[in-house]
Amino acid sequence: MLAEKIGRVVLEALRDGVGFFALLRQAAGRWRALARWPVRQVFYKQIYFTGIEALGAISVIATLAGIAITTQIVSLAGADKALTSRIMLWTIVRELGPLFAAIVVTARSSSATASELAGMSIRGELDSLRRLGIAPLDYLVVPRVAGITVAIMAVTVYFQFIAIITGFAFTALVYQSSFFTPLADVVSILSLHEVSISLLKGLVFGLVISGISCLYGLRVQHSITAVPRAATGAVMRNLIAVFFLDGVISYVAFF
Amino acid sequence: MRGPLGPVDLILSAGETAKVIVESRAVAEELFGILAGQLLPASGRIELFGQDPAALSETARLDLLARVGFVPEDGGLISNLKAWENLILPATYHRGESPAALESRVSALAKRLGVPAASLATLLGKLPDQLTLAERRQVALLRAALMKPSLLVCDFLHAGLDRAAGEALLKAAATVAEPAPAILHLCPDDAVSARISADRSVRLGAEGP
Repeated sequence: MLAEKIGRVVLEALRDGVGFFALLRQAAGRWRALARWPVRQVFYKQIYFTGIEALGAISVIATLAGIAITTQIVSLAGADKALTSRIMLWTIVRELGPLFAAIVVTARSSSATASELAGMSIRGELDSLRRLGIAPLDYLVVPRVAGITVAIMAVTVYFQFIAIITGFAFTALVYQSSFFTPLADVVSILSLHEVSISLLKGLVFGLVISGISCLYGLRVQHSITAVPRAATGAVMRNLIAVFFLDGVISYVAFF
Repeated sequence: MRGPLGPVDLILSAGETAKVIVESRAVAEELFGILAGQLLPASGRIELFGQDPAALSETARLDLLARVGFVPEDGGLISNLKAWENLILPATYHRGESPAALESRVSALAKRLGVPAASLATLLGKLPDQLTLAERRQVALLRAALMKPSLLVCDFLHAGLDRAAGEALLKAAATVAEPAPAILHLCPDDAVSARISADRSVRLGAEGP
């Protein structure tokens, strides 16, 4: 019974993987659709919904995470130590920035994208687009994949910036230590490698979250009950994929 | 359950109007789907401008469909776009026309089709869910007309509306079709359909039980 259940889960994951790569390959081949005005409007809207509208939640989470992490590090290593800055850099830039940005975007945009596309599919709007001579892949998938990916990368950088600034500001306030010294340490330690890996994570998470969300949204059958299932399925699959890929990239890049 | 569509033979040339009187909504939906290449006929063949849409590649079929103005029974509007964005979608997508340049064309077109300017302004700021059935079809008709289609396919254009609204839409569709494009009406068997002036008229039902 357990083996059967595990087998089914593995098969589903494989089916999702095949579907995801096929969708992403097709979308990559059609990126020129972004040159068309209506497709660009969808792209801009996606950046707005995924990136700009998420800034409030990201700011709060980044502030709280920055305070919590610096408090732990300072209690371990002490304030005004180079090690504090180094650990801060490792945790925020390497791990938490890309991961938290991806989690927030998954919670907000993955479910929204999957349910929106599922609803459109059920209402026959994909056929409506085809009757207008417009490929759903070009109009619906390409701008969402591009928009979510760009937004996640920007949100990741924003999270890191806010978490580090507020973390050190809190330490300076509570422990009466310097605000600028650890900040200068972070800037001097920060390497191109760290930044590149962080952005790579943002890029990979963006492609995965957008691709899986579109896949779950577009493959629903003609039943309204499929919409919430598509949304929750996309969120769960994205969370698992993001944590798994975060581990893989961190291992390859920093081990 | 219904069987496949009954046999029907119809050739439509440029500038002609034809009406297909169908026995049910299901038959109209099936024929509409076949015309758009989304369904395959059980037997026989449909050609649009000399090509079978179902036999073409996805890209070629989409290019072919862009030459046809479809006005579906429910309007076929995209739910997350306002009526104005729906209206200009194909023109901006296929022809790269700017929304600002389209404003004057839409106003002129609406005037030609008998849509009052005041009601048009209110109409175009709404989402499809906020429109009445007649308004959704009106937007779909304007959208099709804006693309100057070679063929206009209207699915139950007057059905489900009060007589005045239905006849106004039929009149607008006839105006869109002037001077050259062909027009194909899929319509129910009712008194208003009987009054649609057409060069050809056929009846279509389903075979089998």
